Amino acid sequence: MKLNLRINPEASTGEKCETCGKPLTPENLYTRRIGGQVHYFCCSHCADAFEKDQHCC
Amino acid sequence: MHKLAIIGYGAAGFAAMIKANELGVKPVLIGKGEIGGTCVNVGCVPSKRMLHVAEIYKKAREVTGSEVYPPFSSFQEKDALVQEMRKTKYEDLLSYYDVELIQGEARFISPHAVKVNGQVIEAEKFVIATGSSPLIPQIPGLDKVGFWTNREALSPDRKIDSLAVIGGRVLALEFAQMYSRMKVEVAILQRSPMLIPDWEPEASVEARRIMENDGVAVVTGVNVKEVRKGAGKIVVTDKGEVEADEILLATGRKPNVDLGLENAGIRLNERGGIKVDDELRTDNPHIYAAGDVLGGKMLEALAGRQGSIATENALTGSHKRVDENAVPQVIFTQPNLARVGLTEAEARAGEGEVEARVLPMSSVAKAEIINSRLGFVKMVTMNGRIVGVHAVGENVAEMIGEAALAIRFGATVDDLIDTVHVFPTIAESLRLVALAFRSDVSRLSCCV
Repeated sequence: MKLNLRINPEASTGEKCETCGKPLTPENLYTRRIGGQVHYFCCSHCADAFEKDQHCC
Repeated sequence: MHKLAIIGYGAAGFAAMIKANELGVKPVLIGKGEIGGTCVNVGCVPSKRMLHVAEIYKKAREVTGSEVYPPFSSFQEKDALVQEMRKTKYEDLLSYYDVELIQGEARFISPHAVKVNGQVIEAEKFVIATGSSPLIPQIPGLDKVGFWTNREALSPDRKIDSLAVIGGRVLALEFAQMYSRMKVEVAILQRSPMLIPDWEPEASVEARRIMENDGVAVVTGVNVKEVRKGAGKIVVTDKGEVEADEILLATGRKPNVDLGLENAGIRLNERGGIKVDDELRTDNPHIYAAGDVLGGKMLEALAGRQGSIATENALTGSHKRVDENAVPQVIFTQPNLARVGLTEAEARAGEGEVEARVLPMSSVAKAEIINSRLGFVKMVTMNGRIVGVHAVGENVAEMIGEAALAIRFGATVDDLIDTVHVFPTIAESLRLVALAFRSDVSRLSCCV
């Protein structure tokens, strides 16, 4: 049978900046450990924004 | 009483046997199942053969423009290689070396004795090298519906057209590419937000590109809830369903520790493997352990080295250790993924001044020449010394040994810069990434 994928690929997390959603590449990838977990961003500014947002909550 | 008993006859067990003979000791070698263990029978050897076959056909499609795919009979053809390698690299050695072979399941009945086939075997020293088995997660419906592990996936009982792979690490990536190149539609379902989450994040990103370039559907950050039957086999997740002809479990491996260890005073570690110290000695000072059964990195070459060192330590008290920081790992997709030493994050968690550079493969002349620009080489240094190298690219498996050597001998980036490398090679990328610590590589001519 053909593969029947009834999952919205957009539901997949990761490989996109967790702040702005920009696709991640080895060139733009920036990671930061926040709250004991590694998070993935496209730049340090997005990491800052994510971290600030976490602290607000 | 025997001087040494080795339990397990895979990579670690055979290395232990050979070392024992080198030291003038005739061991008793106890094992069950196919001689040679996982690697030669259902691991590296057959899987790399099938990846190679799939790669040849892919090249043929690209060159000829015709839709040629490996037939499923290729799986039977690889059996000849497995049988030959098992014979020459394992079975034939049993008559070459001085060893007593006992086939059967060993269980400790005391700190100095095991029982095999009702026979009590006593020994002054033991080396446990019983390997590992596929880890089967508790997923409702899995037993009823049925599934494959690496074993079945390398000897399929039928031709399939679609495959759902649960997992997103080494086995998942290699089998996904292998099957997709055999014209099987493949989906990877990975719980973590990234593929190969323990690797450098740059490698995780490239792993997805490699898979997607081969037409594999990659779904990350997904939890498998249950498995049930439909027209095919349905994997139900928290984000929807995938239906395929078969399910491949690539969810890791567990150490084979069911051998009455409590009777020998041996405890397990937090990974469920046998707890050992730096010299591979268990809680029982007469008993050593090596290979997958430790529950650490499950690598053929590491297992062999550990088997040899455990035996030497057991028989001579030599206090040798394996340099864990210089153990290379490879994922044999095309292109390869390879790593050795610390990731940048691991290095930064330690003490010392850490620097890292990433060189895109497109900056490497050989990658341009062979039209394979996907990938990168990343180098991590601490206090000026190389502590980690991570690479994705064509044949990077062949160069990661050099990086391991650099780490093992505390080399600096200047040591690599001062070492002339062959132009044009992919291995040259190691020198180029070292140069990236000193200059802008994109502004350099071919050989500087």
